[in-house]
Amino acid sequence: MAALLSVEDLCVEFRTDKGVARAIDGVSLEVNAGETLGLVGESGSGKSVTSLAIMGLIPSPPGRIVSGDIRFNGQSLPGLSQGAYRKLRGREIAMIFQEPMTALNPVFTVGSQICDVLRRHMGLSRKAARKRAIELLDEVGIPAPDKRVDEYPHQLSGGMRQRVVIAMALSCDPKLLIADEPTTALDVTIQAQVLDLIAKLAKDHGTATILITHDLGVVAEVCDRASVMYCGRIVETGDVGDIFDRPEHPYTRGLIQSIPRIRDDKLGRLPTIPGIVPDLLDLPDGCRYRDRCPQALERCGNFDPRLEQHGNTLAACFNPNSEAAK
Amino acid sequence: MIDDNDILLRVRHLKKHFPVKGGLLRRQVASVKAVDDVSFDLPTHETLGLVGESGCGKSTLGRAILRLHEPTSGQVWLDGIEVTAADKTRLKALRRDMQIIFQDPYASLSPRRTILETLLEPLQIHGIGSKAEQRKKVEDLLEVVGLRKAVLNRYPHEFSGGQRQRVGIARALTLNPKFIVADEAVSALDVSVQSQVLNLIADLQDEFGISFLFISHDLSVVQHISHNVGVMYLGKLVETASAKDIYADPKHPYTRALMSAVPVPDPKTKSRRIMLSGDVPSPMNPPSGCPFHTRCPEAMPHCSQQIPAATNVGSTASPHWVSCHLHGDEQTPTGPATKPPNAAD
Ligand SMILES: Nc1ncnc2c1ncn2[C@@H]1O[C@H](COP(=O)(O)OP(=O)(O)OP(=O)(O)O)[C@@H](O)[C@H]1O
Ligand code: SF4
Ligand SMILES: [Mg+2]
Repeated sequence: MAALLSVEDLCVEFRTDKGVARAIDGVSLEVNAGETLGLVGESGSGKSVTSLAIMGLIPSPPGRIVSGDIRFNGQSLPGLSQGAYRKLRGREIAMIFQEPMTALNPVFTVGSQICDVLRRHMGLSRKAARKRAIELLDEVGIPAPDKRVDEYPHQLSGGMRQRVVIAMALSCDPKLLIADEPTTALDVTIQAQVLDLIAKLAKDHGTATILITHDLGVVAEVCDRASVMYCGRIVETGDVGDIFDRPEHPYTRGLIQSIPRIRDDKLGRLPTIPGIVPDLLDLPDGCRYRDRCPQALERCGNFDPRLEQHGNTLAACFNPNSEAAK
Repeated sequence: MIDDNDILLRVRHLKKHFPVKGGLLRRQVASVKAVDDVSFDLPTHETLGLVGESGCGKSTLGRAILRLHEPTSGQVWLDGIEVTAADKTRLKALRRDMQIIFQDPYASLSPRRTILETLLEPLQIHGIGSKAEQRKKVEDLLEVVGLRKAVLNRYPHEFSGGQRQRVGIARALTLNPKFIVADEAVSALDVSVQSQVLNLIADLQDEFGISFLFISHDLSVVQHISHNVGVMYLGKLVETASAKDIYADPKHPYTRALMSAVPVPDPKTKSRRIMLSGDVPSPMNPPSGCPFHTRCPEAMPHCSQQIPAATNVGSTASPHWVSCHLHGDEQTPTGPATKPPNAAD
């Protein structure tokens, strides 16, 4: 069965003062119905650009999709007209951003904003839309939804607002939900509630979900599979269990080891990844991780590794961890 | 028991209330109790981690200690000198001993000054050393924080977040401080860089014996770096203990909920979350009694009536302070609401 969403060898470039930056370079991924894929990576690795490309929201200029394909439900998206894309975004693909206020209009009540979506995309009457809006607010755990429905965004706390955005995203029962750092701006107790909510809704509604985060803890808790991005590329993809237990890419392992954890015994020093991420405008030849990689080989500087099966995961590496251990 | 002489920083009943003005005449109509009666001791060479949700008063506490915010009441002593009683001249001298590192190194570095100028500034203000000595000091500092000399003539925008944070740390170190407030100092950094900076902070403590107040919303980071940990809620310290004890055996229901909410980077452990109902109440209008009672899963009727006193449920050698009616003895004579938890290893 073909995946609900498949991104194939996607490249996106941005024109900047200093030259053309290829923000993502050959990204491929798949998400199936009912599945949650975690997209992790450090700042600037291309997570948001990937999601914006899927949503047809790459600002152009300065950006453009240079090559590759995005197939959703069998249909190729990059050639779609603005109007067709807009329709798709309202109904079938929904997005949640880090900062809920970007998705909410401060001058309308939350109820009227949800009703607006319901009437436009689901063709509900005014009365039915209001009733459904209250149900949705209830479903995302907002107390006293029949009162909150008439409040303005600024009257709600950050966590409440993000719930409203989730309610709005889910109002049309989308097939695909893209959540870009949906809990990064929230406190840890609220973050836990919102993550549980997203995971529960994905399961209940069979929604395919892409959860973008820089927090590996979040991935471990709510995702089925994960793709790790580095410098505009996906360097490893696999089931979450394998990614954490038997990562094949040295970068994935380095990342996992460098997270401080709550544990009984204090660890003296944290393992670190030396160096910093290279500049997109000044990339090294061959593997982009080479300058920081503890197990680089001669050929890593001359050839580009491609995603291939190693152990239980797909990794783009010439000397994956299972090989290096031999 | 820690000897009094080993206490570098002593904070007693510190309060910082911000006036809220309103009405036509902009009179004070209320106050936000951002820091409300906080007491603790920080020994030399140690780190006290401070955790809590946004708005609980962590940053205000850090700034009130340094008098970047003038405290409303209470006392702070640094190495036996009362910071809260110091006049302007005295305070300037004291500032050499206490520094702060901010979350966003970008915002705290002047974009038009080179790294060299930024690092020389504190030495010039305090008139320390000759020109050559100042230059030498700056070069040494760079080495300490792991930056190359070549960066000296560059500007902040030419650096990555991790490098800027190293510059911020170098600047905090220029005057050989005894005490540093690190306010979300690694929160903006990616994990791979965050681990580098955390190791740097630990090394600096080993090498120079600096004491840190390490403020962060990230409990894993705090546990990693701290000797003792304090948990704040609505302007009050609700629990303080050694990092080991507080994570192994949290006593306050708020601490427990906070810990249970931390996502664990291991898919095999499915965490069992304690869900808190509702949001943090407004510090302008904090609940009566225990400030946590409106969200506490274990609240009892008298929790809304009486403010729980801090009780040591640990030992004298390794105290574990908690302000909660589940653990407190209600009959304790009502003295100061927060007794000084004497930090110990
Ligand atoms: N509108 C734009 N113009 C120019 N460059 C851009 C634009 N949007 C993104 N980029 C560049 O594309 C690269 C990838 O950025 P992206 O926002 O996808 O990173 P990210 O992984 O989402 O990072 P973060 O974790 O910080 O959100 C970066 O180098 C960024 O500077
Ligand atoms: S391809 Fe080579 S340099 Fe790149 S991660 Fe693998 S071993 Fe390291
Ligand atoms: Mg992003």
